[in-house]
Amino acid sequence: MLLAATPLPAAAQGVLRGTVHTKQGEAIVGASVAIPGTTLSTRTDLQGMYRILLVPAGRVRVHAGAIGYAFADTTVALTGGDSTTLDLTLRAEPLELPPLDVVSTKVARFGDRPAASVVQVPERAIDERAVNTVDEAVDKAAGVQMLNGQINIRGSTGYVQGLNSRVLLLVDGVPMNQGDRGGISWDLLPVDQIERVDILKGAGSSLYGSAALGGVVNLTTRDVPEGVHVRVRLTGGAYGNPPKDVWRFRDGTGLEGGGDVSASYGTATFGGRLAAGARHSDGYREQDDGDHWQIAGRARWQASPRTRVDMSGAWADDHYAVPLAWCLQGQCDDRGQAFQPFKVATAALGSWTDSRKGYIAAQARTVVSERLAWQARASWFRTNFFDQRPPNGSEFGIANRFGAELRAEAHPDSARTVLVGGEVTFSDVTSDIFENHSQSEFAAYGESEQVLGVVRLNVGTRIDFLAVDGGSLSAVVSPRVGGTVATDQRGGTLRASLGRGFRAPSIAERFVHTFAEGLEVIPNPNLQPETAWSTELGYTTAPLFRMLRLDAALFWTEAREQIEPRLIVDSTGPKIQLQNVTRARIAGLDAAILAAPIPDRLTATLSYTYLSTRRQIAGDTSAPGPLGFRPKHLLTLSADYSLGVVRVGADFRYVSRVERIELEPFVDARRVPVKVLDLRAGWKQGPVELRLLAANVLNYIYNLVPQTLAPVRTITLTAVWSH
Amino acid sequence: MRKVWFVLVVLAACGRGLEPEPICAPDLVGLCGTLRFRGTVPDSTDAVFIAAYLTVPQTCNDLINNRRPIVPGSVPYTDSAAAYSVALDPGTYHWVVAVWKKLGTLTISPQDTALLRVAGYYRNPVDSTQRGVVPISSGPAAGGIDFVVNFDSLRPATDFVTCTAQ
Repeated sequence: MLLAATPLPAAAQGVLRGTVHTKQGEAIVGASVAIPGTTLSTRTDLQGMYRILLVPAGRVRVHAGAIGYAFADTTVALTGGDSTTLDLTLRAEPLELPPLDVVSTKVARFGDRPAASVVQVPERAIDERAVNTVDEAVDKAAGVQMLNGQINIRGSTGYVQGLNSRVLLLVDGVPMNQGDRGGISWDLLPVDQIERVDILKGAGSSLYGSAALGGVVNLTTRDVPEGVHVRVRLTGGAYGNPPKDVWRFRDGTGLEGGGDVSASYGTATFGGRLAAGARHSDGYREQDDGDHWQIAGRARWQASPRTRVDMSGAWADDHYAVPLAWCLQGQCDDRGQAFQPFKVATAALGSWTDSRKGYIAAQARTVVSERLAWQARASWFRTNFFDQRPPNGSEFGIANRFGAELRAEAHPDSARTVLVGGEVTFSDVTSDIFENHSQSEFAAYGESEQVLGVVRLNVGTRIDFLAVDGGSLSAVVSPRVGGTVATDQRGGTLRASLGRGFRAPSIAERFVHTFAEGLEVIPNPNLQPETAWSTELGYTTAPLFRMLRLDAALFWTEAREQIEPRLIVDSTGPKIQLQNVTRARIAGLDAAILAAPIPDRLTATLSYTYLSTRRQIAGDTSAPGPLGFRPKHLLTLSADYSLGVVRVGADFRYVSRVERIELEPFVDARRVPVKVLDLRAGWKQGPVELRLLAANVLNYIYNLVPQTLAPVRTITLTAVWSH
Repeated sequence: MRKVWFVLVVLAACGRGLEPEPICAPDLVGLCGTLRFRGTVPDSTDAVFIAAYLTVPQTCNDLINNRRPIVPGSVPYTDSAAAYSVALDPGTYHWVVAVWKKLGTLTISPQDTALLRVAGYYRNPVDSTQRGVVPISSGPAAGGIDFVVNFDSLRPATDFVTCTAQ
């Protein structure tokens, strides 16, 4: 294969350049331009210009696409040793699906639909929602639900108080789950630096390994454009007061605010950006104030026409008070109420957390030829927390996660893609509640994709070797097979996939020793990896009557050895221990309707997820019950209307009341359905943009996890100035 | 589309989220009442909670293992009186007791009795020398379960049950 991809002589190559614009001649920024079936691709800059080097001479197929536009697919005759100009015009098409997928196969796919469900939150959607952290932006994505900071993709994770995640977070393709808990730090990156979020639904372990059991979230940060660019973002807002006088806990109104500044400079060869920001929030409940500051940077270096090097890093520091759980009768001045959702127990007053986290990552990609490219990366992610928890004392933890990966992408011919790679991860922890431990993971993977007419098939597998504290290795194999069938020329696609996922227990899960809900939590070093088989059958239609597009998928996951907190009783009393006890099934339907009744003006999306879950405990002969923290129904309706420089929109989210929560006898089990309406408006004129967000505008009072009030009405105004 | 939005907005507006819940709530299955406090609150006080027993406990093990709820919450004890409620399964409870707890961690084992004292219990309204019996149905809560908590008369478990090992 490598011999077949020997670099072509320079004379047989040329440069393809040009612009991508609308029919009205306006530049389209960030459009993808690619030579299908090769390693060659790029994106348009702020002027809508692109340039692809090393393009083989002759007749070359060129594919261009951008969010909100129909793709263009054309052929150009390219002269070797010269530059050829190709200007591309894209037609506005709000129903067009995202043109680029980078998460489903680790190989950038332009225009081709993936075999698994992928949902994308583009920059525009992040901007419109005027949010402060990434989790707020992905919370409204179809089939996704955030539970107090833990992400659930089709009910993958449930809620385990931050002790793990069955979803893998990537930042520009680099894994970023915490080294100790395996959880996700959503405030690691300034939201203003994020260009796009790709969410892969279902098992992704065949390429990504541990934690990709239920899905993968990839954050793509903004590239560094040429020239000097400055961006200033200021936010300010207010929290709604409790809707009932008996719940009032302060005299004034809670406020929030902050600012971010980023500046970049780039040439064709080098580019760099530095961003810094801070924000303060009074919080919407008692003991909920917090301060956050962050810096982030990114640099690129086109070391040669074939090789590009990218470096990025960020550091975030948070100091926040912690409203551990709402006050129950007698725990505070309860005013004759059975519970006070805005207040905390008097004994828990004074709880706070210092959380620091940062990463640095470097990636190099070399295009050996139009048939072969390789990529290497190295990363270091560090987290450091200190919890003050009166009256019990304090807890701390410092964790490092080091990672490295080398992979090669080959296109032996225009109908075939092969990806092979290896990955190493080492995590170490120093903590008084997780003790001092380390975990190593070594992996090798490969995937091949073949196009056979309208059918696209891919097969892959990955083997991971895991070791704790330098002990013996245990192996986990994660195969996957998938395929798509193009049912028409306008994007109608049938897709199917079957894959095995796994998640290695986090160091925190194995070794945690603390107190929760008044009970001792004891370690379990013998925890084994969770595994699951996931399958999906989905269909995306072509636009119907030029107004509607439908997407639906049936999914089914059978999980084994799921880790769950269990109450055990020994001679010294009851305790909580995490054990591999649960056999789980998550099945359901994920459906979305995209509508554009007035193209260019009004767009709407209705998405619905139905979950049917089953939980069987090992050794328990009673009838299976539902999994904890998985709602049966999840519905989101979004609509946007734009008129000139003004844009208004709304999101409505309904989540049915969860049937079961963990450790129900030991916590306040009050819970209600979620019915939240967000309204937003935006105005953009030249370099200035204003955004107004009224989140939970009806001030619906609810909780997602026990004794934890979800955000109340929050009005936020954001001003952005870009140069 | 307008109709869909209208329906959803109405649905959201009419939806009942969490609502204030008086301690003796109409939908409570359990019991509720008022505690009146006497005496001086000891400095070592951690909590005062209400426990209920379907049968009168005979041993320390009964005292811990048969307690409902298993992990009770505290009632406010710094004023002269406090409303309280306890969610319980339906049944006839033969002892409703206020338990004083001093600072320390409970293990839900007989060793807990070292941290606990009986501070008062509900008495028969007709014969106050006897324990009061409280039937609880699956309907409205049993209200008016009022009694006195006396911090000057905190009695150890052994005054009520037999403890063979602590």
